[in-house]
Amino acid sequence: MVLLLKRSISNNMPVKKLVPLLSALVTAVILPLIFQNPYYIQIGIMIGVNAILAMGLVMLLSTGLVTLGSAAYWAVGAYASTLLVMKMGLNFWLALLVSGFIAGIIGLGVGAVIIRLSKVAFTFVTIIIGIIITLVVGRVDFFGGWGGIVSIPKPDPIPLPFSITIDFTKRISYYYLMLFLLLLTILVSFALYKSRIGRTWKAIKLNLQLAETLGINSYLYALLAFVISAVFAGLAGSFYAHTFKTIEPETFGFWRSIYIQVYAILGGVDFYISGPIVGSIILTVLPELFRMAKEIEPIITAIILLIIVIFLPGGLLSLPEVIRNSRGLGAKENLLPALFRRNKISRSKN
Amino acid sequence: MALLEIRNLTKYFGGLAAINGVDMNINESEILGLIGPNGAGKSTLFNMVNGTDRPSSGKITFKGHDITGLPTHRIAKMGIGRTFQATTLFMNETVLENVLTGFHLRYKTELWKAFLHTPACRHEDRTCRLQAGEILEFMGLQSLKNEIARNLPHGHQRILGICLALATRPSLLLLDEPATGMHPEEMNNLVRLIKKLREGGITIVVVEHHMQAVMNLCDRLVVLNFGKKIAEGVPEEIRKNKEVIEAYLGTD
Repeated sequence: MVLLLKRSISNNMPVKKLVPLLSALVTAVILPLIFQNPYYIQIGIMIGVNAILAMGLVMLLSTGLVTLGSAAYWAVGAYASTLLVMKMGLNFWLALLVSGFIAGIIGLGVGAVIIRLSKVAFTFVTIIIGIIITLVVGRVDFFGGWGGIVSIPKPDPIPLPFSITIDFTKRISYYYLMLFLLLLTILVSFALYKSRIGRTWKAIKLNLQLAETLGINSYLYALLAFVISAVFAGLAGSFYAHTFKTIEPETFGFWRSIYIQVYAILGGVDFYISGPIVGSIILTVLPELFRMAKEIEPIITAIILLIIVIFLPGGLLSLPEVIRNSRGLGAKENLLPALFRRNKISRSKN
Repeated sequence: MALLEIRNLTKYFGGLAAINGVDMNINESEILGLIGPNGAGKSTLFNMVNGTDRPSSGKITFKGHDITGLPTHRIAKMGIGRTFQATTLFMNETVLENVLTGFHLRYKTELWKAFLHTPACRHEDRTCRLQAGEILEFMGLQSLKNEIARNLPHGHQRILGICLALATRPSLLLLDEPATGMHPEEMNNLVRLIKKLREGGITIVVVEHHMQAVMNLCDRLVVLNFGKKIAEGVPEEIRKNKEVIEAYLGTD
């Protein structure tokens, strides 16, 4: 993987692309050192969790499947990790890995059955499965019931050389753990999209019939995306539980899945990695800005979202492309303002 | 033994038989023309051979293996490639990317190696790019390899469709109206290309309405009408066949 990164930095990726990437990373590392207010850091952590979840959703979307139940695997990760640590006394770090694995296995089982359905039925069933999972953890006492589970232990300290330990007493340690998980997700996604796996996913999305004719087993490839996105969500779930110390079924409900979808759409679903990040930054910060007016916050968020979906169907990140296209067009077409024209990259006419 | 054997093939859509008890053989290295009026069932036949539609009854045997009702990707893997009546491409991708997507079956390294971008995998990727370039060269699209498929002229899009099918290394190629919308010069070029493909050892079945192209191109013709085979033979015979003329012109 490091090899890949080195190579893509040296060969494929132009410096123009690398500079904003590195500066984004540096900003993400430095920002919490400047704004040490725990409240801001908390928002930063939530941005990361949301971005990981949205990236998983986008991965599934890159094969043409729409899920409205991604919070389910997030819940699986959170509950698996919590129970492993609190009931079986497992080390957090081991529980983190195991809960990613468990989410993946459940994703495999569910995906194996529901990917065979038609696309509409698939989306519908993902909603139902999301609701079922919420109901199961809410109704069964073993999972803590509707009240949820409280005082989840913090991650076990990591001993470092020279008698330094990262002991997760400060909020900022959680932030950097989030950053680490986010980078891992980005790196894995990047490696997948850059390989022939990504190309195959795209082929399935753009034209299923043609892809099958070319020998692509679309079922297996879609299942792969489904499982990977479940693993992402599982890891994010484990991290979430031990960071916020409290989990309750409501947190992982249907609305959560809708929000995850919305992060991806706002940024732009054709921007596999930057889209979810931009989307979750905006939609995590925005509600906090309107915290004073908590009742109308969802309305404002919804209006902003509607405006984006109608006038920029390719998401916020497609704006430069839309502007560029509008400049290149003939005078007659230019009578329409750029934003009112349909965005070419988002609507494939295959 | 014929390369592809179709026995008593029938396909019902509701109560209507789109294909009704068709028997036919396709021999190794021939160019077979499949003709008939609109709605005769030619595309349905292709769909069943290629696994898009499941036959209601009957049997399809390819290279001695029963392939009736297998999923499309399995049939593609066994060596049957096809193009579509409506231009079917990955429209927003470049010409080269289109062909590379068709190379799916040629990649032999494991997926996890692709994920880790191991040297073996990168080497394979380069090889495939070269081979994709060769296919484009052969079909005369080399100079357009970095164009977006959507921006190609229609004739070139049809040729690119064939390139995609060729990328899967088919031994049997099903071409569904390849000359649609081509002007005479492009059509001559297409006939020349298809003949060259046959020389390379690919067996070809072509559905086409343009009679001159069909007569120039095909070794043998099979005529369908209302889902039934009404004639079979060399182009000269078919041209004189009374039933065929009636099917095309109608009877009074």
